Amino acid sequence: MPDITATYVDSMAPNAAAAKNGQNLVRKNSFTELSRTESGDLLFGKCAGSGKQPYVCSADFIMPDKPVFRCSCPSRQFPCKHALGLLYAYAEGRGFAVKDVPEDVAAKREKAEKREENKAKQEEGGAEAKPKKVNKSALRKKMQAQLEGLEQLEKLVLSLVRSGLATVDAKRLKELQGQVKELGNYYLPGAQNELRRLVILFGEGEVSEEGYSYLMEQLTVIHALIHKGRSHLHARMEDPELLLDPESTIDEWLGHAWQLSELKSFGRIRENAELIQLAFHSYNDLARAEYVDEGFWLDLGAGDVHRTINYRPYKAAKLMREEDSFFGVAQIPCLYVYPGGLNARVRYEEMSVRPAEAADYRDIREAARRSYAEAVKTVKQQLKTPLGDKRPVLLLHAAQVGVTADGQFTATDSEGQSLVLEDIYPLAEGTVQLLPFLPAEALSDCTLLVMFHHNPDTNRLTAQPLTVFKDEEAFRMLY
Amino acid sequence: MSTTLLQELHQETRRLYIAGSDLAAGDFRLKRLLPQFRQLGERSAVFKRIGEGIAALVEPEASAEPPAVKLQELALLLESVLYTQGTSTPEGSPGPIETVPVRTRTTLAYRRLAPIRDALTTSGGGRYEIIMEAYKEGAFQDLRLLPLAIGALDDPYSEIADYAMTTILPSYGQDIAGVLAGQLDLQGGKNDVRKLKVIGAAGGPEWRGLLLSAAKDGKEAIRTTAIEFLAGEADVVPLLLEWSRESRSAIRKAAYAALAEGGSVEGEERIMEAFAGKDREAAGEAVCGKVSAGLARRLTALFHTELNQVEAPPKDGKDSEKLWSRLQPFITALRGLQSPELLEAYRHVLRNYKRFAPVGGSSLLTRAASYVEKHGTYEDLQLMQELEREHVVYAHQHFHLARRLLAPAELYHSFAGSLLETLKNLGSKRKNQREHILLDAIEALVLRREWRQVERVWEGSGFYNSLDYLMPGEEELDTWDARWLDWFVARGSLKLTAAFARPGHSGAQSFMLKHLGTLEQRDRNELVPILFQGLERTGMPLPERQELLVSLLEQEKRYYRPYDFDGVLFGMLLELPASYAGRIEALLPRYQYEARKQLAYVLGQVQAMA
Repeated sequence: MPDITATYVDSMAPNAAAAKNGQNLVRKNSFTELSRTESGDLLFGKCAGSGKQPYVCSADFIMPDKPVFRCSCPSRQFPCKHALGLLYAYAEGRGFAVKDVPEDVAAKREKAEKREENKAKQEEGGAEAKPKKVNKSALRKKMQAQLEGLEQLEKLVLSLVRSGLATVDAKRLKELQGQVKELGNYYLPGAQNELRRLVILFGEGEVSEEGYSYLMEQLTVIHALIHKGRSHLHARMEDPELLLDPESTIDEWLGHAWQLSELKSFGRIRENAELIQLAFHSYNDLARAEYVDEGFWLDLGAGDVHRTINYRPYKAAKLMREEDSFFGVAQIPCLYVYPGGLNARVRYEEMSVRPAEAADYRDIREAARRSYAEAVKTVKQQLKTPLGDKRPVLLLHAAQVGVTADGQFTATDSEGQSLVLEDIYPLAEGTVQLLPFLPAEALSDCTLLVMFHHNPDTNRLTAQPLTVFKDEEAFRMLY
Repeated sequence: MSTTLLQELHQETRRLYIAGSDLAAGDFRLKRLLPQFRQLGERSAVFKRIGEGIAALVEPEASAEPPAVKLQELALLLESVLYTQGTSTPEGSPGPIETVPVRTRTTLAYRRLAPIRDALTTSGGGRYEIIMEAYKEGAFQDLRLLPLAIGALDDPYSEIADYAMTTILPSYGQDIAGVLAGQLDLQGGKNDVRKLKVIGAAGGPEWRGLLLSAAKDGKEAIRTTAIEFLAGEADVVPLLLEWSRESRSAIRKAAYAALAEGGSVEGEERIMEAFAGKDREAAGEAVCGKVSAGLARRLTALFHTELNQVEAPPKDGKDSEKLWSRLQPFITALRGLQSPELLEAYRHVLRNYKRFAPVGGSSLLTRAASYVEKHGTYEDLQLMQELEREHVVYAHQHFHLARRLLAPAELYHSFAGSLLETLKNLGSKRKNQREHILLDAIEALVLRREWRQVERVWEGSGFYNSLDYLMPGEEELDTWDARWLDWFVARGSLKLTAAFARPGHSGAQSFMLKHLGTLEQRDRNELVPILFQGLERTGMPLPERQELLVSLLEQEKRYYRPYDFDGVLFGMLLELPASYAGRIEALLPRYQYEARKQLAYVLGQVQAMA
């Protein structure tokens, strides 16, 4: 059983509100019964709710890495506040009576055990050899529809370009919004999001010169998406296996959500990886209608900066786990790596945590790029690709972080080349204003995690510092 | 590569996007750029391709793709090229950052930090509580909240701005002054005034120079704030004297206040000068609360002299107003001070009731009576009694003075006993008025209302404010004559009966019981909690009181329906025996708001006992 502290319980909570509600139950003395088994691997209790009967909830640590929470309440949040409250009560040191495992939990444990056995048996019995069957004719039909959708999208975009952006008035905007919806019929959620992004840019009211530049860029992105998407779909349809492209991001742009099994089948996995989080933030993506939790991590073995992305659609946001800053090192038996550029997306199903050590910080330092000329070249290489990620994140070594007479913050590499550090448009939270508050020694011979951004109007490529690493300390300026 | 040329082309293509690609054919501004791209194209493939793209737009071939496609393709290529052209080097040469290492921790996790950040950067309700709680939990020690705390000085909700100024920012210690000084705009608005206040309060002597220049050159509000902090510094006195003669009254006032606080001889002289001249009103307001003993003596003497000069009542309203405007500044300036001389001056006012009664619409007289009430001696009782005879409203001050000076029995005797005879002469209307005044005066002495923070145990967390009566303790009651209780019952004062009730006084108990069930709605919320405390004082056992309370809640008409039960009643409910569960459950639908939640919680507790 893991060490149950308040921090541990916080981390289990799907969001901050659930944690607070759980704590409130303890304070309100809503638990009418608190029990645990002799061995301590099961906590259970009863908690008064709004109904007549109290809810029966339990936290099962028979597999310490994969605790199972059960509760008779109807909440779709998982774990619910009652299970969290149970853990908080335990963490607070409330009295738990020692009792036998309740019958229903014992039955459920047995079932779970059987399931595991069956699974193990299946794996032994060569279940690997049985790949998922794909209905090829249906898939072909779907791709045909996607091609039609791209056709529609192209027509629409070209008509916009022909008549000019200035002609888009309220009426036209409404039409466009309708067309975004229509595009939903063509299995192209990715392309649909990009069109919605365009419409949102239009809807932002008074369009400035800079605003038109972003509109124009969004139009060209859609243009590139149509072209690349079309040729990719044609190529796929010619492939007898109709395989996805595991090397490019085009499938994701069109709206494909990679399944872990697919990534595995293309060999896009890394075994026994160790990741340390470098920075974290969460933002509201209006075009996707989702909250996006984004973490940047260093793969300690390989030295790559990866990103984890957790999408929380508005409608389900309350029920889904909101990610949080992570301060330990995640030990991951199987890391799935998406196709991508400098910061490929990664996912994992299981992980365990160990505290970060001096060696990990040394790894961060060593993974940092030392020549800015090289780094900028790499960044530009990615930026110029029309469908490349426009906000690459890099670890840079800085001989000195400084400021010019005009108040422009800079980072300078050991060769004396400098880079402008400033708050960039894609990030909502400013960070450079924090630099003067760091200890002076943290600003020389340090490692910076920065996000790059190219401003089309000023024609400047600048970077926003997300985290400053010095020795064994991380100054997280974002989250 | 020629970035300027590419930029120019970017602007032209953007223009076409805005105007529509159909206008591209023959566009002369694009055409004008074409030769340069062709020329550069001879050496560079990219420029050649761009040149071809431009040509295809401005000189379209009949059979080619539509101009919209051409424009999209040109823009796509151009953007790609521009992405490789971004300058990343700074414009000047970098020097070291002047660091102010106020706080160096960044240990809060996103989930903890984000709601606080939201509260500090958005508008809307509920933010103050989040910010306050965050501060109490020490969250502001996280570096990332520092700039936001400074930004909060500008919050449209002034409570948040003030909280940041008085509590959050000073908690960063002296270093915060340096940070704020760097952002201070002497010509700025409210938030700069707040910044200056933090600097003045939290910063050390090294910020004196800044305060001085703010006092000299800032905007009005900045100047007055800075002047406030400069009080008491000898070498600033000449400047203060100079500022005290400025045309703007706000600056003059700030200077007077600082001079008074400094206590210098020159300052004292200058304030006396202001009192002698036209600026008396401004000076009086400015120095209030800051007057030194020497200055107080001089002001009191002048006050007394001016009072002596009044020989007859003011002739008319105008005259009275004029006199009041001359005298009021003394009262303002000397507020909170006491001295035998001042007492004498106010006695003089009371002795000459007729002369001073109209001044300031009786304000002068009331002020004098209040002063004597607080600081008068035994000999003043006579004076106050005479004053009361002039106007019954002064019975209040008279009673308070007597309460302070007389023994309990004596007090009772002179106000509720022998005076009865004299009161007979007063007529019943006046008698009633006097009794009301006395009851109010006693209430003010023994029953204090206080806002208390009550933990919402029924919610599990949080606090709310409840306005409760603090009943007098036993020690306090011992200082009153026992006969008062009968007097209160006879005059129908429920509050005082409850406060003075004692075991064995059956009259008091039956009086309260008689009224408990029939209170008017407007009195119920206030009186029910008091009456139950009174009943407890009469020695009524808890089970009886509980039954009484529950049946009061159950009553068909005029039942007790508060927004929330105060601490005493809630406590009684919590101790209900299990047998009440059914009755409480039946009551629930009757109640709303906090009261309902409290009852639900009570029900839970009662059921848990069963």
